[in-house]
Amino acid sequence: MAASTSPGTKSASWWSYFFLYDGSKVKEEGDPTRAGICYFYPSQTVLDCQELLCGQIAGVVRCVSDISGSSPTLIRLRKLKFAVKVEEDYLWVLGCAVELPDISCKQFLDQLIGFFNFYNGPVSLAYKNHSQEELSLQWDTFIEQVLKNTSDLHKIFNSLWNLDQTKVEPLLLLKAALILQTCQRSPHILAGCILYKGLIVSTQLAPSLTAKILLHRPAPLDQRLPAAGDAPRDPGAAFPLNVQITPVFLTEEEAASLHEFPVEQMPRPARLQDGTVQHLAKDWSTSALKKDAARQVASEAQMSAATLDPMSPDRVWPNGKGENGHLPGHEMEDWGPTGLHTTAKGQVPGLSCPLHKEPGFPQEETDLSEIHIPEAQEVGGSSGHYTFLQMYAPGGRGLYHEHPVSDASNLEPMPSEDMATSCSLSASLDVLTQNGAQEQHEDLPGTSNHSLVPGTDPLPTQTSWPLSPHPDPEQKGSKLLGGHQGVDQQVDGVRESLAATGLQCISDSADSQGDNPSTDRADPRLTPVGGPMRLVQMNLYTHSVKGLMLSLLAEAPLLRDSSAIEEVYHSSLASLNGLEVHLKETLPRDQAGPSASTYSFVHHDHIQNVLTANLPPVASAQDRHFLQAISLMHSDFAQQPTLYEMTVRNASTAVYACCSPAQETYFQPLMSDTRSSGFPNPQDGAFSLAGKAKQKLLKHGVNLL
Amino acid sequence: MKCVLVATEGAEILFHWTDEEFEESLRLKFGQSENEAEELPALEDQLSTLLAPVIISSMTMLEKLSDTYTCFSTENSNYLYVLHLFGECLFIAINGDHTENEGDLRRKLCVLKYLFEVHFGLVTMDGQLIRKELRPPDLGQRAQVWAHFQSLLWTYSHLREKEQSFAVEAVERLIHPQLCELCIETLERHVVEAINSNPSRGGEEALHAFLLVHSKLLAFYSSHSASSLRPGDLLALILLVQDLHPSENTVEEDGDAQPSPHRRPQSSQNIPVQQPWSPHTSGPIKNSSSGTDTDSFSFPEEYFTPAPSPGEQSSGSTIWLEVAPSEVPQVAEDTLQVLAPHSSVPSSPRRIFLDASVKDNYCPLVPHTMYCLPLWPGISMVLLTKSPSTPLALVLYQLLDGFSLLEKKLKECQEAGSALRSLPLVGDLRQRMDKFVKNRGGQEIQSTWLEFKTKAFSRTEPGSAWELLQVCGKLKRQLCAIYRLSFLSTAPSRGGPHLPQVLQDQAQRLMRERLLDWKDFLLVKSRRNITMVSYLEDFPGLVHFIYVDRTTGQMVAPSLSNNEKTSSELGKGPLAAFVKAKVWSLIRLARRYLQKGCTTLLSHDGDFCCSYFLWFENDMGYKLQMIEVPVLSDDSVPIGVLGGDYYRKLLRYYSKSHPAEAVRCYELLALHLSVIPTDLLVKQASQLARRLSEASRLPLP
Repeated sequence: MAASTSPGTKSASWWSYFFLYDGSKVKEEGDPTRAGICYFYPSQTVLDCQELLCGQIAGVVRCVSDISGSSPTLIRLRKLKFAVKVEEDYLWVLGCAVELPDISCKQFLDQLIGFFNFYNGPVSLAYKNHSQEELSLQWDTFIEQVLKNTSDLHKIFNSLWNLDQTKVEPLLLLKAALILQTCQRSPHILAGCILYKGLIVSTQLAPSLTAKILLHRPAPLDQRLPAAGDAPRDPGAAFPLNVQITPVFLTEEEAASLHEFPVEQMPRPARLQDGTVQHLAKDWSTSALKKDAARQVASEAQMSAATLDPMSPDRVWPNGKGENGHLPGHEMEDWGPTGLHTTAKGQVPGLSCPLHKEPGFPQEETDLSEIHIPEAQEVGGSSGHYTFLQMYAPGGRGLYHEHPVSDASNLEPMPSEDMATSCSLSASLDVLTQNGAQEQHEDLPGTSNHSLVPGTDPLPTQTSWPLSPHPDPEQKGSKLLGGHQGVDQQVDGVRESLAATGLQCISDSADSQGDNPSTDRADPRLTPVGGPMRLVQMNLYTHSVKGLMLSLLAEAPLLRDSSAIEEVYHSSLASLNGLEVHLKETLPRDQAGPSASTYSFVHHDHIQNVLTANLPPVASAQDRHFLQAISLMHSDFAQQPTLYEMTVRNASTAVYACCSPAQETYFQPLMSDTRSSGFPNPQDGAFSLAGKAKQKLLKHGVNLL
Repeated sequence: MKCVLVATEGAEILFHWTDEEFEESLRLKFGQSENEAEELPALEDQLSTLLAPVIISSMTMLEKLSDTYTCFSTENSNYLYVLHLFGECLFIAINGDHTENEGDLRRKLCVLKYLFEVHFGLVTMDGQLIRKELRPPDLGQRAQVWAHFQSLLWTYSHLREKEQSFAVEAVERLIHPQLCELCIETLERHVVEAINSNPSRGGEEALHAFLLVHSKLLAFYSSHSASSLRPGDLLALILLVQDLHPSENTVEEDGDAQPSPHRRPQSSQNIPVQQPWSPHTSGPIKNSSSGTDTDSFSFPEEYFTPAPSPGEQSSGSTIWLEVAPSEVPQVAEDTLQVLAPHSSVPSSPRRIFLDASVKDNYCPLVPHTMYCLPLWPGISMVLLTKSPSTPLALVLYQLLDGFSLLEKKLKECQEAGSALRSLPLVGDLRQRMDKFVKNRGGQEIQSTWLEFKTKAFSRTEPGSAWELLQVCGKLKRQLCAIYRLSFLSTAPSRGGPHLPQVLQDQAQRLMRERLLDWKDFLLVKSRRNITMVSYLEDFPGLVHFIYVDRTTGQMVAPSLSNNEKTSSELGKGPLAAFVKAKVWSLIRLARRYLQKGCTTLLSHDGDFCCSYFLWFENDMGYKLQMIEVPVLSDDSVPIGVLGGDYYRKLLRYYSKSHPAEAVRCYELLALHLSVIPTDLLVKQASQLARRLSEASRLPLP
């Protein structure tokens, strides 16, 4: 794990081999091992060596499975370690340097397999429908992408590549979030993310899904539509400029997470229109919604943090400012669903997160607060709102942020009551009922608009969506079962044809969703039918504007619904352009590099799987100690759930680490004390690191209090 | 679900050990056999069938990639396989029940390897010879050898789980200064000196004598001529004694009942290596055929040479070496038959190999004879003697070491000849070897040595490096064979020279008399050596601690026994078990971080705060500055002292930067309640370390 953040060949030193081996092709005595090698990285490896590795590892895997009843997931040698995954006859193996922690090695393999499945479907099918060369090219691309951007820290945490959000104007993050929300209102569109030069700007997706989209490269279309088989996108001929639609395959869990808060967005605005907050509260307390919510809260409390898919543009903001007090949402009618989820920063994880996932609780509070604040002030009255906020974030200095919102004029005025509403909703029902702001919702404008984002084309009006919770009852996805082969599948195939070819179609109506919010499955009617990996087909809509890329996951019918495509395109085009310009302007400003710091820190957000750190790109000796300590402790935190704080020291440096279900933080002071003996000494600085870390990291938005 | 396996490159099983669950799973795998009798001998074959692909693959990888497997794990580490290659033997440990982690399993393999060394000495250096020791062709004998080591592994696993001393691998002393003094005096005057002044002792010389109460050391005395005993070796001796006389939980209540031998077969009580006619073989003894058997395998034709009478050898061993091979069994058998009654008692002397310095030279694996004299159940006296042939062990070691180095050089640089001759090592080796061959070499080794000299030193037609390697290997094998012949074949358990029974009985009787009044006290004291209660007042919030002086290899810790009969201070049941589990996991954690170079650790885990400190002091107690300790790889020998002694290496490493002073190394592990603020906790640790160090600094009688 030497100091190599530099891309290119050097970084490959930790990534030794990757191969996919098809055991079914090597059954008889006489079958050459090479017949089973589907892909081998690095491709220049001598064939004998390829055969040796494939043959030996496959043999050992079989032997261990015989004895243990399950196949090994990790095979370690003295200088190498192999993460192994067996899927029917296929064997995926990733060989890394031994310095890489075991978990990371396994995660990288899972990630690679995930990429492949995402873009190509189940491996057996992919290799049936495509030539080995074609797929090898894809593998090369994936691996190249992974290697290019993976720094020492990313290696340990396997985290996503995100924009350093401390360096971006928060308003831009908000803008990105709003673009995504806007797009979500178009038919078929489920959720998406916005990337800038390969870094996440905003995402509504689970980290695992975002990771897959991060690797998407706008390759030539004919190559990018592999699963379409013989019928490459006739409807796509009419795609707007820079737009691609690629068929992708999601795992059941991922698909389910996208459908978790489906179209229930609609009823809420309706209720808001004719009701007050009390009404809303009553709704919550009496109606099915409440049941639903309660169930969802309960179910989601059990969900691991990692399955949440929040996106919080504000995560790095210091607590003291109050922005993270979970203020204000925005218009209730703005589809909370799939909305942006914030991290649980400063909150009790498990309570707030589930709530954020509730339909109707849009969460980009921070940014929105910035936008809305002027309005709130204009509106003036919002005393209830105010008090509530203070109540909710007592430590905060109030949410009235000083940043003037330059393009506030473009924004639809937002009643402060809304903020209060969403605020209170996101806090808790109890709070809501006590909240003085309730009355103010009486005059809530019924139809607040959707053109929040400056320059956005008008969105489909709400009235176009029925009040029924199922605005889009039609088939939402087709399920591709891993075991099925020989499907000449049309991207835009109709349900019947899919079914006929062995694809099970699901109509995942919102009904079933609503009924089973707690199940992971998208649809209870889906009974497992063989096959280790069940994949659901969807479309990935990508629209790139120079360095900026909007990626949206949509249900399969999008491809043949050109009006829907147009709608998405036009609803986002202008704002994307604007965002791109702004990002381009603001980002280079921060290239100055970190000023000399007296400490290093790394903060990993488990929920979003992103890192915040101040490590220099080239690691010094002390940084290497730090990295080594991090990889050790990271493994321990992963293995021992009761472990929550650690300080370790060697002769030259001390590292403090703490961990919660939502985050892991590592802190290392850089000032080397005079070397101590190892004898316990209360004066020793190593034992006061906890306090130091708490104090110093506050300004990076890391709250360890 | 545990299994330990030792196999050759060719997947031949040299040793195996499985627990019942694992055996059961094998039985299920191979189908329910209708005939139980057929099932049992097949266990070895089952394992060999199952694991052969792994063994062969790991050899293939080594050959082709110069790298080999060290560990496999399945989902959630449900199954863990640890592989370790020692020389030509592959050791494999498997765990399928989450009770051991990778470090534990690797440690177990290292301990097993070390136990082989303790029993077979330098014979372990040669793959073929050790194969014959571990896998005698005679099935009954093989069963005995395996049963012996299986029993030792059981004992080791048991002690590691139960005893803090084995968890941290340091000797725990019974704290009672007066009694200790009394015992040392007795050991000195009435045991060691009495034996050494007795003319009937033959050539044997008593070196060390010590008293054990369960697994705790009560008193230890070394004669003036003896070199000091390595802490790891002392711990291994305790392990052997515990294996002979297991201190079951019920021992106290059992009164004078002999420790139950049910756990281990009788036959494991001596070292039943190599002789097919061991008196304990359960099967019928076939004298006629066994004689030739012995002949053919124990003295491999190609290098066996009857040694000419070596000048300084004692008469006992000389006779042995002079007899023709075919007569050996008879001679030995006669002796053995005389000895048979003795060897059935657990005190039967046993040949063991321990590190020592001989004539001021450090020499590993010097042959000793161990006499374990039980006083009462749970209390034993152990006597270590050396035979007059010890200097031979040094010579053989030096030669073997020299040839091993030479082999390494030959492998590194492929060219031989002049380059080789110029090595200072070679000149020295040549001189030593010439002397050795002249003094005691047989014909075979003489001719091999001549062959080597021709190939290595001839100016006209020097042999190739490959040829030299071959001859080098041959020489090493012949040296090992001489070592085996001199020390293993003459082992006391095989009728080799040892102290007369009268002397042993005398010492045993005397010690019993001296300790009679203390017996019950000692048995209780061993369970309540140090109590946490005495620390609670000064260290509120402290739950447990372990303090280890790594220089002497001794540890101090409050008792944590939580067996059925005797409850600990924490009472019995879940709380005691929980605290114990925490202590064990702290030990593991500390070891893993030390392996990666961290010498201080503070971790908050649930309601507890674990801390670990390692530091160095000079003899005056002055705390020395910390250094960067080496970062070791995951597949390196885990930290401990049994087998590879980490701390000895660490001390040597540290001494490099402090050549002037004597360096001492200490460790403190403490478990606090997590409500204790960190600064207070560290302060307590510091006070605790000071207090314990003062206590241990008191001159030990």
